[in-house]
Amino acid sequence: MSDNARTTLLIGRISALCLIGLAVAYGVGGASIEYAFSSDPLGPRVVPVALATVLGLLCLFYLRSPGTAEAFPSGRLLWRVLAIPLLLVVCVAIFETVGFAMCIFLLTFGTGLIFGAPLGYAAAGAAGHAALWWFIFSYLLQVYLPTGTLFG
Amino acid sequence: MNLDYLWHGFAVALTGQNLLVGLIGCFIGTLVGALPAIGPINGIALLLPIAYTMGLPAESTMILLSAIYCGAEYGGRISSILLNVPGDAGAVMTALDGYPMARQGRAGEALTLSGISSFVGGILGSIGLALFAPVLARLAIGFGPAEYFVLMVFAFATLGSMVGSQPVKTLIGCTLGLMLATVGLDATSGAYRFTFNQPELGDGIEFVVLVIGLFSISEALVILEHQGRGFTVIRELGRMTVRAADVARCTGTMLRSSVIGFVVGVLPGTGASVSSAIAYTTEKRLSDTEDTFGKGDVRGLAAPEAANNATACGAFVPMLTLGIPGSGTTAVMLGALMLYNIQPGPMLLTERPEIVGGLVASLFIGNFLLLLLNLPLVNIFARVLTVPNWLLVPGILVLSIVGVYSTHASVFAIFLMLGIGMAGWLLRKAGFDMAPIILGFVLGHVMEINLRNALAISGGELSILFSSAICIVLWFMAAAVAVLPTMLSWRSRRLKVARTAGMPAIDG
Repeated sequence: MSDNARTTLLIGRISALCLIGLAVAYGVGGASIEYAFSSDPLGPRVVPVALATVLGLLCLFYLRSPGTAEAFPSGRLLWRVLAIPLLLVVCVAIFETVGFAMCIFLLTFGTGLIFGAPLGYAAAGAAGHAALWWFIFSYLLQVYLPTGTLFG
Repeated sequence: MNLDYLWHGFAVALTGQNLLVGLIGCFIGTLVGALPAIGPINGIALLLPIAYTMGLPAESTMILLSAIYCGAEYGGRISSILLNVPGDAGAVMTALDGYPMARQGRAGEALTLSGISSFVGGILGSIGLALFAPVLARLAIGFGPAEYFVLMVFAFATLGSMVGSQPVKTLIGCTLGLMLATVGLDATSGAYRFTFNQPELGDGIEFVVLVIGLFSISEALVILEHQGRGFTVIRELGRMTVRAADVARCTGTMLRSSVIGFVVGVLPGTGASVSSAIAYTTEKRLSDTEDTFGKGDVRGLAAPEAANNATACGAFVPMLTLGIPGSGTTAVMLGALMLYNIQPGPMLLTERPEIVGGLVASLFIGNFLLLLLNLPLVNIFARVLTVPNWLLVPGILVLSIVGVYSTHASVFAIFLMLGIGMAGWLLRKAGFDMAPIILGFVLGHVMEINLRNALAISGGELSILFSSAICIVLWFMAAAVAVLPTMLSWRSRRLKVARTAGMPAIDG
């Protein structure tokens, strides 16, 4: 078996085990839903428990033959891939504080750099994005977006 | 056959606002389709919340989304032909003969001919939809909760057997979607399910949050991983006209492929990728006497293009008449109807004819607009291929955040979208498709309600699920589509083994 095939097999097996864990947690959570009465014979618990059972059984098949998967990125590319959600989390966290335009500038500037744009291009692109999207949403479409509490 | 709804629809679709909305949708759809990174489902996911926030009426939103859908099917051919990278799954087969034509200096000819084929497929598919939808809706009008529940079981069985090469993963995706649909307040008992004491989850996971997370955030990460795989755009388009002889040669191909595309589109769970592959192989078997397919044969280009556009129209049939999406993209559109508190199903045609009729009429008008846009402006659309990812992807991320925030005005919703996006990326790495999750999510709530209503009617007797002829037929069909493909592949494996061993094949 080649290294690539071994990696995809491993990814498949780990995914199947994670999904089995999810099925168990979901099933236990579903069985312990509290309710006073229900107007139908099934109640709110049966469907979640049934779905957990179905997922568990399907995952057993999946565990046996995981099929194809794609290897995870490694090295520098992995850090770049992880930087995107990290940047998004930071930008969303400050979204209402710094406002839409500033947040979009930071997000698009950071994403531009992660995607390999030179510094000047990334900054110019980000300024263009911020201006364009502000014009479209806040001015043209009158969509409510936060202006930011930081700058009054 | 009563086609009043269609004439009513033309009156709706021909208003100034809806014509403009349709034109914008066609333009954006073609751009979205031309970009190798994003397909129709991503484009619709990004624009749906914006259309909703703008306060467009339901029929205008559906016209916009269907125009984007059809536009993307047209646009998908551009990157297939000029870049050898399909713009969406339905355009994979287009590259087989389209790219060799472009390499021979016939890119303009290929783009024009594929535009004409797309138009033929789109128009024939629209005719099929207009004629077939009322018939199916009339048949489905007698469906009760039990029949609906079994119908959805049938839809999932079809998905598992037909979508992709890994049916177990498709079914796991559907189950995950069904599980996500159970989050929130249970209306019949008042119990909160899987809300983890978060008031924001009381109404469940919002459709927009899920669809943008799965199709935009995870897509951005996938684009980053795949960037730098050096593609070369063919810039010399050459002559933009096609010879009458070539069109005549392709006429039969276009007609046959449109029929194949429409029929495949009507089946739940099968999409343009399946129909274009069937149409291409059918044409190859029928017409490839000189072994020219794959080397720039015009019929090899026309077949998948006509088929994938007819499929887009066919996929609307189960969505509009039964409330069952025919593809991932129509699942998102079904969710769009639900955003407007409109329950799709057989009654939609009689209760809201302006929506069904408007959509069908807009497909006819949209196909003419798309032909007019795509023939003279193909040079402009082709330029989209040169937009670098560092400029494109930030735009996708901005639209994702604005889309979610403008619909929910909540930072929690954006964080939830990010979490779903990351989970989606991990699932994609493990080889899962995102469309079954959306299908499960969209159908999950309706499926549970119908099951519980059916059992409430019968006093908890499961026999109600087998009580009517419709239920029994649907159970039989579900069992058949679930078991038949496995049996057929087992049989073909046996025959292959028998042939390889040089022994006579054993039948049965």
